[in-house]
Amino acid sequence: MTTIIAAGRTGPAVGLVALTKYETRRFVRSPVFLVAFGLTAWALWDGMRVTVTEVNTVTVYPAIFLGGLGMVAAFWLTRSTQRSAEAVKVSPTTPQVRTAAICLVAIVPLICGWLSFLAITVFLRVPGDWTYGTLGTSGRAALLIGQTVIPALGGPLLGVALGRWVRFPGAAPVLFLVIFGWVILADVLAATHRHSMLVLMMRLFAPFTFFTASDQHAVETWRGSPWFFVGWQLCLCAVAVTVALLRDAEPGLRSRLTRVLIVVLAAAALMYALTVTGGLGHAVISHPGKAPQPI
Amino acid sequence: MTAIMLRAVGWPAICAVTAMAAAVGACGVIFLTSAGPQLLTIAFALLAAAAAFALDEPASSVVDVTPTGPGARTAVRSLALLVPLCAGLGLVLACALRAPALSWTAIGLALAGNVLLGFAIACVARRRVGEPGAWASSAAAFVLIAPPLVPSLAGRVHTFPTTAQDPQGLSSNAWWALVGCTCIVAIAVSVADRRLPWRPRSSFGRNRA
Repeated sequence: MTTIIAAGRTGPAVGLVALTKYETRRFVRSPVFLVAFGLTAWALWDGMRVTVTEVNTVTVYPAIFLGGLGMVAAFWLTRSTQRSAEAVKVSPTTPQVRTAAICLVAIVPLICGWLSFLAITVFLRVPGDWTYGTLGTSGRAALLIGQTVIPALGGPLLGVALGRWVRFPGAAPVLFLVIFGWVILADVLAATHRHSMLVLMMRLFAPFTFFTASDQHAVETWRGSPWFFVGWQLCLCAVAVTVALLRDAEPGLRSRLTRVLIVVLAAAALMYALTVTGGLGHAVISHPGKAPQPI
Repeated sequence: MTAIMLRAVGWPAICAVTAMAAAVGACGVIFLTSAGPQLLTIAFALLAAAAAFALDEPASSVVDVTPTGPGARTAVRSLALLVPLCAGLGLVLACALRAPALSWTAIGLALAGNVLLGFAIACVARRRVGEPGAWASSAAAFVLIAPPLVPSLAGRVHTFPTTAQDPQGLSSNAWWALVGCTCIVAIAVSVADRRLPWRPRSSFGRNRA
């Protein structure tokens, strides 16, 4: 901020670039993010040392650490200026520029998510194609992107939105635990109620989900379209950014953002519907060397 | 005096997080045979997070220089732990009724350990900051959720009792006995030290005993 003022450049673009650099430095130095990055790298390395029959046990780590802990880090980063709110109000940048700068910081965990995706794609050893159930190359890519890359982006964006609107200082860890519980509950119910439309809708109404479940001898592929689920996740990211920008927006900007939010919510609803109705019509089970069979 | 000090406790935060824990825990009790252990682990972590808000003091810069010592303040504020403990006991009772095979004493020990851990982290953090709840709850949640997730710890430490114990791993009872003893020592050390909270570049810092 001081650099911008001293340079005499107060344009929104200049301010956004400078603030993004500044906030990125703060995010990268955050102990929470450093722990998340270290744990992701360690867990992936440890998980991929042996041949894996259950891919979910590896792909879940970037979502939990980069997404979950990234949300906590972004939440604290957003709230860190609250004590100096009076001073920030008289600064030459608007709250929306500051919020946009913090949202752009999510590029850092997104890059980490892509690196995790690459590491899993290159180094993960599986017994055979049946490990991914009936998913083909495209489906596998969607599965991995939806489980490693998008949560790494969405978690921090959710943290920014939460930090802008919620005053409760423990909101991020509490929300992380609640989402974690929701995903576990939906996953367990999906394993026992494979033909229930309600359970399917519940499982996919989450920022993270599984599409396969396996043991040593067989893999179940569940209903739902992995690619449309990626679209649903991206829509949730857009919702988080729009909601974060809505806080303290000027009347003109507020009405524009509200229109954007309505469009994004409509797109999210469409993606959710396509996720639920797309993909397999029923769950199937795959055994090594055998054709998949309906359950 | 006790009533006045209790008025300063962040009841909304404690009650809200406890209510969420109760909701998650209720789902765990309903689906006890399938997702029960995982959901109850999360519920207990939320109760630990609730306990971490018991020592939050927005007016710490005033309160910390009053004659009432940190031991007395901590003792009075520890009464706020009754909220998460009561909610947790409700969950333990429900578990005992639904699944007699599960040891309710082991679940009760896990509950006490979780709440004590959240409070102990807050006690240690309270020496440095006036409102330790935010980061103490995050730290408690992370410490309680990490063992089943971190690959090297997953099969070795059990933070929630189950009917099928891994003979090679540290049992839930042993783990919580260890954690509980460590927490009691940490709380005792943090309240026994009568120094004022550390404040950088503050005149209060010169008055440390």
